[in-house]
Amino acid sequence: MLKQQFLRRAAVLFVIAMVVPLIAACGSQAAQQPIKETVVVKETSAPVKETVVVEKEVVTDASFTTPHPILGDVKVRQAIAYCTNRPELIKSVYPFLTDEQQKGLLMDTFLPKNHWAAASDGVTVYDFNPEKGIALLKEAGWEEGANVTTGAPLFLKFTTTSAAFRQTWATVLEQQLADNCGITISRTHAPASWWFGDTTGLARRDYELGAFAWVGQADPGGISLYACNQIPLPSNNWEGQNGMGWCNEAASKAIIAANNTLDRDERIKQYAIVQQEFSKDMVSLPLFNRVEAAAANVKLVNFKPNPTEYYTYNIEEWELPGKDTAVLGFTQEPASLYTLVESAAVATTAAGLLSAKMVTSLDYDYQAVGFTKLPKLGDGATNVDIDVKAGDMVWNTSGEAVALAKDVEVTDATGATVVWDGSSPLKLKQLTVSFEMKPGMKWQDGSPVTKADYELGQKTTCDKESGATTFTFCDSVQTFTQESDTKQTLVFLPGVQWPTFYTGGFGAAPSKQPIESDGPYKGKTLADVPAKDWPTLPEVAEMPWSNGPYKITGWEKGQKMTFEANENYYGTAPKIKKIVIQFYADTNAAVAALLTGDVDVLGTETLGAGAEVQTVVDAAAKGKVQVKTLASPTWEHIDFNMFVK
Amino acid sequence: MATFLTRRIIQMFVVLIASALVSFGLLYIAPGGPLSGLRQAQNSGRNKISNEDILRIKERFELDLYIPYRFSRWLIGFPTGPVTIAGQSFLADTVVGCAIPGQARLRYPDGRVELIEDGCRQYVTVADLIDRRASRGILFGDFGLSQVILRDRPIATLIASRLPYTLQLMGVSALIALFIGVPLGVYSAVRQYSRFDYTMTTISFIGSSIPTFVIGIICILVFAIAAKEAGLPYLPPGNAVANSDYVVPFIGTVVAESTLDRFLHFVMPCSVLVFVNIAGYSRFIRSGMLEVLRLDYVRTARAKGLQERTVVLKHALRNAMLPFITIMAGVLAELFAGAAITESIFNWPGLGRLLVDSIGRNDYSVAMALTMVSIFLLLIGYLITDILYSILDPRIRLS
Repeated sequence: MLKQQFLRRAAVLFVIAMVVPLIAACGSQAAQQPIKETVVVKETSAPVKETVVVEKEVVTDASFTTPHPILGDVKVRQAIAYCTNRPELIKSVYPFLTDEQQKGLLMDTFLPKNHWAAASDGVTVYDFNPEKGIALLKEAGWEEGANVTTGAPLFLKFTTTSAAFRQTWATVLEQQLADNCGITISRTHAPASWWFGDTTGLARRDYELGAFAWVGQADPGGISLYACNQIPLPSNNWEGQNGMGWCNEAASKAIIAANNTLDRDERIKQYAIVQQEFSKDMVSLPLFNRVEAAAANVKLVNFKPNPTEYYTYNIEEWELPGKDTAVLGFTQEPASLYTLVESAAVATTAAGLLSAKMVTSLDYDYQAVGFTKLPKLGDGATNVDIDVKAGDMVWNTSGEAVALAKDVEVTDATGATVVWDGSSPLKLKQLTVSFEMKPGMKWQDGSPVTKADYELGQKTTCDKESGATTFTFCDSVQTFTQESDTKQTLVFLPGVQWPTFYTGGFGAAPSKQPIESDGPYKGKTLADVPAKDWPTLPEVAEMPWSNGPYKITGWEKGQKMTFEANENYYGTAPKIKKIVIQFYADTNAAVAALLTGDVDVLGTETLGAGAEVQTVVDAAAKGKVQVKTLASPTWEHIDFNMFVK
Repeated sequence: MATFLTRRIIQMFVVLIASALVSFGLLYIAPGGPLSGLRQAQNSGRNKISNEDILRIKERFELDLYIPYRFSRWLIGFPTGPVTIAGQSFLADTVVGCAIPGQARLRYPDGRVELIEDGCRQYVTVADLIDRRASRGILFGDFGLSQVILRDRPIATLIASRLPYTLQLMGVSALIALFIGVPLGVYSAVRQYSRFDYTMTTISFIGSSIPTFVIGIICILVFAIAAKEAGLPYLPPGNAVANSDYVVPFIGTVVAESTLDRFLHFVMPCSVLVFVNIAGYSRFIRSGMLEVLRLDYVRTARAKGLQERTVVLKHALRNAMLPFITIMAGVLAELFAGAAITESIFNWPGLGRLLVDSIGRNDYSVAMALTMVSIFLLLIGYLITDILYSILDPRIRLS
């Protein structure tokens, strides 16, 4: 024992002796207050250095206020759009699609054409038209690839990731712009880690033309992308995702209004304004929806993947004649089945087998499944005007819960943005929503899902030590009441106007699940375990209790997960009795397994849209497998950075 | 011997620390990280990620600590908070990291502007570490927790789940390759320029030249896909066991997870490794033997009238084995680390695939744990090699 202690101390001393010089070299120093004044150091050859105090200081000579000499002109941006042959770009990356399918991927605004909020009236459409592009360039002072006045070349830097398919379409784009309109672009295919880095690439607006993808959703959102107050700048600590620097008053007001109203018709109207301005100003060129493919055993019945829902949403309806086991192939093993802390598609898909689905989001919309209905204003939900006073907790325009005080910015009951003066009467909207669950839901042991289970679910979800990434929704709730085993009511803070308020509240956790794994909680129940320990608890992370169509019976790390039909599932009993999720090292191996019959289903998260899709499409043509290609909600686009730093 | 061992163990310790420092540094500067993905989704609505959330994530992954402190916490589990001696607390205010970096704008005389991180707005001190989880240090056998692959659960569990598969695959293939490769190499050397020698040299040349993944894919195409389509007996293309029973022509129904099923899944990855290893071993032994067989003492042995078998196996092979033993030093580490490519191709759930996964998914704590154990086993392998040298060649003195 003493010897061990001696060795440990010796090792500690040794490492300290090694790291102390390194610490010194790294400039470690005693804690100090942030500098609050601008320091100017002037030397003959060294740069001038200004220290920016991020939160409080106003940067007088802010970056990104000088319009870009080329992209600052809307005519040039529009010309680039006209000079881009987008159908050809689509063909370059998805040659296995039919012409009709390729055409269906083309986008004119930031919403897919089949989205409920997609607009067509008043939207400027940029069909391939190089003559028009050249004419616009001429009007902007550019001819034959050079500035008419200065002779400067029409040269732009194009930045994107090194993903193979982006290299493919970007090569075609480079050729198109040069051949059609004399626009030269220099392509940089940077590592995704730099492009999407925390302090590099997109986050610092370090591009002229920047290509990447946004993941679309049933709710269009968009406020962080297109509102004027969402332009990342050094002075706002790079908050926001409007990297183009686009500030169109009408569009900005409309996107804020669209996200602050619960009336869908009003939202459609506001989103139409944003799309019209977006296409007119041509701040970002939408290219196409990405394609995702899913493939399955040719005998699998009711396999109906959907672009905005996990493909296993209707797994209880699947049938595989002659087999009682279906094997799903994953190229990534879920890190955990605790979806509060693990949101990867593979984890959500696997965990989805274990939970009673309350809502689905098929075809860019929502449908009640476990709820008796989706609440609507006047039918399960109210949104009333209330008076608020100093000190009341309210929801500010930045999406944070704050105590009302002078200078707090809120959206008032009329929908106007108000900076409160500290004394005037103020009315805000207060949203109250009640959810009614279908009766008869049970855990896998046959015990009913109770009020206590929902209360435990809410308590854990909103515990700041739970390991969840965000608590925005929790923070927006003023009171949570689980009135019975099947009714939950949420009263939100004044000012909260979640457009998708009807999609659900807090889920249930099996409070009576016994803890059998070794450790301090052995012999207790899940309700006794603090939220901070849930992510590491095998009963939560690996073998959670199910109230869904299947229950997990085994997880062999690195190999497979095994699920069996949950005989206590309240809904339709699954037709396939056993599901195995088999892990593969890569998509090639998974496709090989599909072709040999070792795997029955490869979902969109596994098959994606890479080169392997062609193999599967060929096999489908021979009747060996079935394949579904979907226009995914993820869409490629090129952003124009309209300012220079 | 004792002096030698003491000296070598001290050397091993220093090499281990130096390797840990280098590999930790390399993985630290590798691109990617837990914050990168957050930029790829709309940051608004119910899932909005606030600055407070970012701080929490940085704290969880220790991204707010300076690298020397991250390294020492990982290596020896220090510091975990202020040091208390006789009721007095020390080091509490020592700065060990930066939670919120400062920013500076550099404006160059030519008009260029650059924004950089500069200084710190909010520091992390030793006192802030009290409530953070920390391992006891990898030097004391605590690998810590997996950050991504098995989120927040012990790396030891992860390694334990994969180790048996790697030991099985690597152990069996290495043994078979040794038992076949060494005699083949000896025979080739003794029968130099014979038809057998030419054939073996060609095969081993092919085995050494073609990458494992090519051999693996060809094997899958031929013995799994083509054989099955042709109605011939076939081998499963991957995994360690099947999920359901299957029928193989001429063999019949193979019950999932039975011994036969495990054997059939094992055959292809093992054969590929055996083939590659035989090629390497036999070429090495052959060249060693050819060198030794030309030496005077072998001629002397023959002149003494010793049997050819004795000359070859007792006199020549023993000396020819010396350089071979050097390459065998790595076998111990290989047994643990697995064959990353072969395991990936055949979807074998071993540690090699785990290493590839851990690097691909930025689970650096797992990658570091595997690297450290491999380095440790490699050093042990070299130690054993040195000892074996002295046994095989009495002229070598360990002292």
